[in-house]
Amino acid sequence: MAVLVRRPQTVDFSVAKVLRFLRKQTPAPSYLFLIPMAVFSMLPIVYVISTAFKPLEELLLFPPPFLVRRPTLDNFQDLLLATNALAVPFTRYLFNSIFVVLTTVMLQVLMCSMCAYPLSKARVLPGRNFIFGMIVAALMFAPQVTRIPQYLVVQKIGLIDTYGALILPALAWSYGLFMMKQFMDNAVPNELIEAARVDGAQEWTIFWNIVMPNVAPAWNTLLIFGFIQLWNDSFSPLVFTRSEAMKTVSVAMISLTNGPASIARQGAQAAAAFLMTAPTITVFLLRQAKVIETMAHSGIKS
Amino acid sequence: MKIAVSRDDALAVARATTPVRRRRLSLTTQRMLEGYFFVSPWIVGFLVFLAWPLFQSFFLSFHELQATSLTDLKWKGIDNYKEAFFIDARFVPKLLATLKNNLLDVPVIMIFSLFSAILANQRIKGVIGFRAVFFLPLVIGSAQVIKQLFAQGVGGATLSQGINVQELVYQYIGADAAAGVSDLLNRLLFVLWKTGVQMLIFLAGLNSVSPVLYEAARVDGATDWDRFWKVTLPLLSPVILVNLVYTIVDSFTDTFNQVLEYIQQTAFAGGFRLGYAASLGWVYFAVVFLILFVVIRITNQYVFYAGDRSG
Repeated sequence: MAVLVRRPQTVDFSVAKVLRFLRKQTPAPSYLFLIPMAVFSMLPIVYVISTAFKPLEELLLFPPPFLVRRPTLDNFQDLLLATNALAVPFTRYLFNSIFVVLTTVMLQVLMCSMCAYPLSKARVLPGRNFIFGMIVAALMFAPQVTRIPQYLVVQKIGLIDTYGALILPALAWSYGLFMMKQFMDNAVPNELIEAARVDGAQEWTIFWNIVMPNVAPAWNTLLIFGFIQLWNDSFSPLVFTRSEAMKTVSVAMISLTNGPASIARQGAQAAAAFLMTAPTITVFLLRQAKVIETMAHSGIKS
Repeated sequence: MKIAVSRDDALAVARATTPVRRRRLSLTTQRMLEGYFFVSPWIVGFLVFLAWPLFQSFFLSFHELQATSLTDLKWKGIDNYKEAFFIDARFVPKLLATLKNNLLDVPVIMIFSLFSAILANQRIKGVIGFRAVFFLPLVIGSAQVIKQLFAQGVGGATLSQGINVQELVYQYIGADAAAGVSDLLNRLLFVLWKTGVQMLIFLAGLNSVSPVLYEAARVDGATDWDRFWKVTLPLLSPVILVNLVYTIVDSFTDTFNQVLEYIQQTAFAGGFRLGYAASLGWVYFAVVFLILFVVIRITNQYVFYAGDRSG
């Protein structure tokens, strides 16, 4: 983008004025589209929240009504009762989920960033293109299919039914690496790194104190994406663990709601759905500004 | 060896501080080793849990394997693949249905996300809030809970009832129109759920189109319509290609996907038929790769690479 300019710095004042005037005059048609689209986007969340507070007779209606008419907290009580009937105390599932998700997410982001740093900034790194090609190819494979032999590998290493089985296979995250590399290419000037090298900084120091702060929006985004993905993942704990004490919340929710008494537990199910989405929405809302800022700058090198 | 940078300095420091044995490593070699040190954890994870399983699944697809140990393999040649196409009555219809759905959805997703990106790229009040809301479905869209809701029969119909449009259409226009509208709304709802990432990629692309070009077009008397077709679209075409590839990969690896669900069932629920499941997986990938190849081949002819964009 040597020739193209980002902001109209050199624009004739009168043209800028006209543009500004036009923009001020015509927001109405945009809102005409934006507002319905926003309403549409929010429907599922509103539905999940409203369903959690529906009394049983409203839950059993078909087709289900969209909004709750007589809100009640019964569902949460039912959920508590149902969790009391589980083989393992619910807090154990919660601990497993939190421990596994946080450990994985942090290691994931650290490993992706470490790998992206030389791929983006090293002056000499034979095989760089080959490695990057592999990553792009790996992006295309659906995890569902590699998981079949992945199971065999996990079994062979003897990780089945350990935390290792839940954490290790998720660490080499192709999308995370891809995104970190794009960001380091764009957001960290080579001159900065060269200057640090001249000043005698070690590679680790450069990585940790210069590169990482500069790409903070990117790894913040990855933390959130990773959190969402892992928190909702019920497949690995279902397949890689056997004992009930190793399962996570997402699995517990499934067994709660798929049991023989599942019809009577419609209420508990709705409350569980609400509680499962609550953490991800909270995490997202807390960092949304950062995510969006990051996403708007990724993808394309300009 | 932690040595810093300019070559002369480094050599001087090296001479002064390091034991003789180590000096043999040239600075370049050291840098390289350091680079590999950073890369290696990821690569090890990748090789063990992704590349090796991929290779193995290809190997397995030519074998029969019922138990979950690799010792009792039975060579089957291409029988698994034959079974997928000629014996299994469920696989091919599922594959075709998935193909049809996705190929219908992809263009809609593309057009819709471009449209919403253009809307969200305006400088009007509250636009940041709108961007956040458009992104929100993505956050819970992949969740197990949503899947469960759909399993309970809570489809798009229920959700679009939230805005009561069908009823209004039903009352004022008639039953046929109402059915059409509700169909459209359901599809729109799904599409909207899936456009979060594409919209943001388009937003980034739109931001990189120089305003100078728009002004030039305006001076030359181009209308907004002209400017969209003659300036925005050509300059955006590389981004469109990126988005197209992303969308295709994303929709073919979606959790709602029937084929992937069936593969998972075959592998884990239906008596651990790992060999057969692996061959189904590879058939599926061959199809996805073929589609991607054709799409990239065709699209590339229309992509406009402005002279010195990469500079």
